[in-house]
Amino acid sequence: MKLLVVLVCMLVPALALAQPSGSASGSGSSAGSGSSAPEPAPAPPPTPEPPKADAVALRKICTDAMNADPTFATKIVQLADEGAAKLRLQADQEQHQKAAAAIAKNQKHVILAYAAMWIVAAAFVMFLWRRQQALKIEIAQLKSDLDAATKEGK
Amino acid sequence: MSQPKNSYLVPTFATLSAIGFGVTLWLIYEYAPLDRVLFFNQKIFYFHVAHAFLLFVAVGVCGFGSVAFLKTRKPKWDDLALASAEVAVAFGAVVLITGSIWGKAAWDIWWSWEKRLTMSLLLWLTLVGYVLVRRFAGASADRLAAMLAVFGTVGVPFVYFMVDRSDRHPQSGAEGVVAKSQGEIKIVMWLCVATFLCWFLTLLIARIQSVRAEREVRELRERAMDTGVLQ
Repeated sequence: MKLLVVLVCMLVPALALAQPSGSASGSGSSAGSGSSAPEPAPAPPPTPEPPKADAVALRKICTDAMNADPTFATKIVQLADEGAAKLRLQADQEQHQKAAAAIAKNQKHVILAYAAMWIVAAAFVMFLWRRQQALKIEIAQLKSDLDAATKEGK
Repeated sequence: MSQPKNSYLVPTFATLSAIGFGVTLWLIYEYAPLDRVLFFNQKIFYFHVAHAFLLFVAVGVCGFGSVAFLKTRKPKWDDLALASAEVAVAFGAVVLITGSIWGKAAWDIWWSWEKRLTMSLLLWLTLVGYVLVRRFAGASADRLAAMLAVFGTVGVPFVYFMVDRSDRHPQSGAEGVVAKSQGEIKIVMWLCVATFLCWFLTLLIARIQSVRAEREVRELRERAMDTGVLQ
């Protein structure tokens, strides 16, 4: 019996403490709620989910923002033109460089002229050499004939 | 055939020419700068102009030999004139062919009847006429051909100076491309002229020896006919 009384004495204040504040204040006992424990911080309110905007809506937002700036369209066109002009210039320069390189490396006429020069020179040297050989043979033949005739005459 | 005097001259000049050809070819390709207008095609200039200069030299030598022959009637001058005329024909052919190829590269035409080109062709035809007369005109061919050579020599200044400002062909004289050329172009151009001068001397001396051998054959034939060896 004594044990039961002790348990009741311990459990009653414990249960009283375990009660939420609302229920504690609602119970009318001001002594326990005001001074015994601090009030817990209020939980943050749940953030509202953003409205799910679809692509059309987003486009509209964008369009409205662009239309709001009167110089925006002009700037965009100007930027695109400048970009295109730069690309055209780059392409032209590459084309010119390729053409210049092709002309600079065109050795056809030089080789042709050099070959013509050597063909003429070779033809002339060949003519000289053949003529010289023919003359050598003819001179040797005539000399031997003349020597033979001289010996026969003696 | 007797060994000609100064027989070392032909091998000497031929060796100098061979060295010169190698050196100038390397200089033309590697050292001389590219022209801003004609680019690589301008390199024809080096042997075209050098051959043109030596054509004038050859015609001058032919004219000098012819005048000396007409005056003295010594055969050595006639030999010099004949050999020089044949070398001039070869050099003239190179000038006309390389000039034509250069014209195609620079102006996109093979030939134009401008004064310089027409006079060059006429000079070359005169030299061809000289050689043909020597070959086919018979006994008095030497004197006839000598007159023709004098006529051709007189034409050289006309070829050199006869370029109008309106002509496509580059100017000559003090205002010409050769006189105005500077730096590497000038060095390579004059080295080419020196090389082709050695080449010209090689051919000229070799041809003079050949002409003397022909003269020797004629004399031997006459002797053989006198002795009855030849009919």
